[in-house]
Amino acid sequence: MNEFTITFLPEKKTISVDKGTDLLTAAIKSGIHIYNSCGGEGVCGRCKVIVKKGEYITERSGRIPEKERKKGYVMACRTTPESDMTVLVPEESRLGDIEVLTEEAKARRLAGLYTPAERIEEERTELKEKIFRHGPLSTKLFLRLPGPSSDDNCGDAERLFREIRKNRDIPVMQMGLANIKKLPRLLRESGWEVTVTLGNRNGTAEVVLIEPGDRSEKNFGVALDIGTTTIVAYLVDLKSQKVLGAKASYNPQVDFGEDVISRIIYAQEQGGLEKLHHAVIDTINVFIYSLTKEQGLTLDDIIAVMCAGNTTMTHLLLKIDPSHIRKDPYVPAANFLPVVRAAEAGIKINPRGLLACLPSVGSYVGGDITAGILSSGMDDMDELSLFIDLGTNGEVAIGNKEYFMACSTSAGPCFEGGGLKSGIRAMKGAIQSVSVKNGKLSYKTIGKERPRGICGSGIIDALSAFLKHRIIDRSGKIKENDICGTRDAGGVKEIVLVAKKDSAIGMDITIDENDIKNLIHSKGAIYTGIDVLLKESGYKKEHLKNVFIAGGLGTALDIRSAINIGLLPDLPEDRFKFMGNTSITGAKLCLLSQEAMEKASLIANKTTYLDLSVNPSFMNNYSAALFLPHTDIELFPSVKKIL
Amino acid sequence: MERVIEKWQDSISELTLGAAKESGGTRANTVKIGGETGIYFLKGEDACPNPPVIAMEVWDMEPENWTDALKSNFGSALKDPAEWARMCVEKFKADLICLRLASVHPDTKDSSAEEAGKTLEKVLKAVSVPLIIVGSGSHEKDNDVVVRCGEVARGENCLFGIAARENYKTLTAACLSGGHSIISEAPIDINIAKQLNILICDMQFPPEKIVIHHATGALGYGLEYTYSIMERTRLAGLSGDRMLSMPMINFVGQEVWKTKEAKAGDEVASDWGPTRDRGALLETATACSYLNAGADILVMNHPKAVEKTKEIIKDLCNVKN
Repeated sequence: MNEFTITFLPEKKTISVDKGTDLLTAAIKSGIHIYNSCGGEGVCGRCKVIVKKGEYITERSGRIPEKERKKGYVMACRTTPESDMTVLVPEESRLGDIEVLTEEAKARRLAGLYTPAERIEEERTELKEKIFRHGPLSTKLFLRLPGPSSDDNCGDAERLFREIRKNRDIPVMQMGLANIKKLPRLLRESGWEVTVTLGNRNGTAEVVLIEPGDRSEKNFGVALDIGTTTIVAYLVDLKSQKVLGAKASYNPQVDFGEDVISRIIYAQEQGGLEKLHHAVIDTINVFIYSLTKEQGLTLDDIIAVMCAGNTTMTHLLLKIDPSHIRKDPYVPAANFLPVVRAAEAGIKINPRGLLACLPSVGSYVGGDITAGILSSGMDDMDELSLFIDLGTNGEVAIGNKEYFMACSTSAGPCFEGGGLKSGIRAMKGAIQSVSVKNGKLSYKTIGKERPRGICGSGIIDALSAFLKHRIIDRSGKIKENDICGTRDAGGVKEIVLVAKKDSAIGMDITIDENDIKNLIHSKGAIYTGIDVLLKESGYKKEHLKNVFIAGGLGTALDIRSAINIGLLPDLPEDRFKFMGNTSITGAKLCLLSQEAMEKASLIANKTTYLDLSVNPSFMNNYSAALFLPHTDIELFPSVKKIL
Repeated sequence: MERVIEKWQDSISELTLGAAKESGGTRANTVKIGGETGIYFLKGEDACPNPPVIAMEVWDMEPENWTDALKSNFGSALKDPAEWARMCVEKFKADLICLRLASVHPDTKDSSAEEAGKTLEKVLKAVSVPLIIVGSGSHEKDNDVVVRCGEVARGENCLFGIAARENYKTLTAACLSGGHSIISEAPIDINIAKQLNILICDMQFPPEKIVIHHATGALGYGLEYTYSIMERTRLAGLSGDRMLSMPMINFVGQEVWKTKEAKAGDEVASDWGPTRDRGALLETATACSYLNAGADILVMNHPKAVEKTKEIIKDLCNVKN
């Protein structure tokens, strides 16, 4: 028998798989999402499951302690069935719900990760006010055409163009054959009253859609942020410019690897690109469907989609082979992508609706960063500003209205809770702040729930508190101290932040020396990226008048803590500004305004991409930054005082 | 044309090794190192207040892997650390003795801290020069031994090694309590060197009692990496970086005598010159390079190389402006 049935508990979901299929793949196929930072390579040890019944072959791994092995724990990615099996997927191995969140749940779960739609609307005023001329990707125009007569006998299409030109100054216009074929009948049946949808396609205007009667009120678009970790969608009324609803969830591509590199590798496997493409498209389609349903709209009412994502995500969205992004000399298929029919990419909206992507700067600085710079408004400023995206790729950009320089620091998934023993993304129950109160450790969780793990802002806070109270030394080693107990866990020292009895996952929530080391590497990478950009452009940190922080940690990041550990340069705190998710903000701006889109293209064009891997001073500066807060304490005078 | 002479804002810390009777020790000779106010041997820049010194290596067991070209200089003294040390000082004029506690390593004799302490005691009695004491390379065992040895040599102001980033706490504590100096070692990385010094000083250890080791490479075996790191360290130290303005040490002999150029017999390398001289020449050449890189202590093996290097130091220091 070469086919076995695997039953996953507690859902009791079953699936038939071929002999040789690992349990991780089986789980993914049956829609159960299991943590796996390494993409099923047997490295991260996050995909632990418990075998309840059945024969199997598994690879022994140091990732599973002897105690757990005896209880039947195995790594799902390294285990293949030899008979029908029953497998329990424990809470700590679960990625969390992937289904669409309700607005309230989303706000709670993603508090600190992404700012809800309304908040972004409000917060925009905090930034330098920048209003782009309203001119969405697609506009609708209600037209009353004069009927033809012997005095006015131009063709139907020319008649339509003539009427459009009375309203709009558009010298070049086009219309596809399909629309021309429909035109004579449609015009006459509608009594010469029609609504045309004009799409901005690559510098010209296209008559995308012609509908009978006045439908100019029904003009909607979707702004998308496709992050390596999270996907966010806004439904936008293109006429009133209001955000009507928002959806967010994990990027289901994490099933195939947590960072862009492992996904590019996966894309090269048989059918890999197809799977990655579908993973993201399916999520988007579910989002759009439920957003339109909630607002009483139909899919036909959505005529434009604007997407911001890093270069790899954009490639995968459009099913373009991303393999050369990770091969020397690291070039993408395209930085500037044309406006295409959304249907071509598999996005289900009006069949003639358009899809545009924000332009990328290079292979590792993508449209999400272009969007970030655009929404920060730093491209209009005389003074020097810095933009930091605290995500897995850790992009950093510096500049003003004259120039931009950007690099990607490959900070790693720490800030999003990855690569940490008890790390989770900023979700309900994530510890988001840690401090020492009355000589004891205290913490706060998102949504005030029982703690499930530590998210990025929590670990930054923890490290800062540990350093300040001498629980760790400046190299991140845990010391004996009066504040919290330390213990040895298999040769690695760790601190128990939450005891098993108080946690929601049935086990201790801990921070060990490896976690601290990972965080030091991440913060060192970001800091060095900033340092190199400053040096390359001949400035000092004091010249930075604004530091815009976006992404993974958003509103919950404590600036003081981030400076204390040497993640951010030692500058007055009022120079730092949180912007939440700038990728979605930028996408929304571009969806609503062609002027913004042109600005984004300008930004992408004038940004110099700096490849840190060939930068001679990077490695030296990097190893200097692998200390708390830095080997050269003089760079952090405010931290020197508290140490 | 007027010569421009660089003026440095800071100087390297000056460290005295060994303690005479009045300072609580039993040494007849103490050795001062460091104190540079500029780059050594650069005409006009520095007056060489404390010329570089040479320590000779003495093991607490007969070294198994040494070649005859090396062993033959010491004869039966190799079996007796005290005798060997006396020979190095009296016959070969070593400024210091570097006692290597090789026998405590679990892979050699796995001898106890107690035994190591006894050996140290004997060597202390046999010679009146200051001592450098280095462990066997087994972190766990060395930590054990160093506590005992730090106690045995209390007040003698020895230089203990080797503190590394993964293993510095016990050694630092032992040196603090015994009043000794410490060697801090980082693998050819100026940042890690500085980080380690910060960590050691965070334990209330005085920075002026630290000697830096950047790992030593023999000539032809990566010497240039160490050389440039040492140069950078010295320039940073003279420019005011307190965590790098420390004397530096190089284990020249240990590295040179590992190379095939030093070890190969006449029958395999007939056109390389006689084995008898080859290793000593390589050791001298390596030592000279490190003198120029800013070394304050050279730990060496071959008496001929020691002799020649001492002459070279003298010549270099006597260059008149």
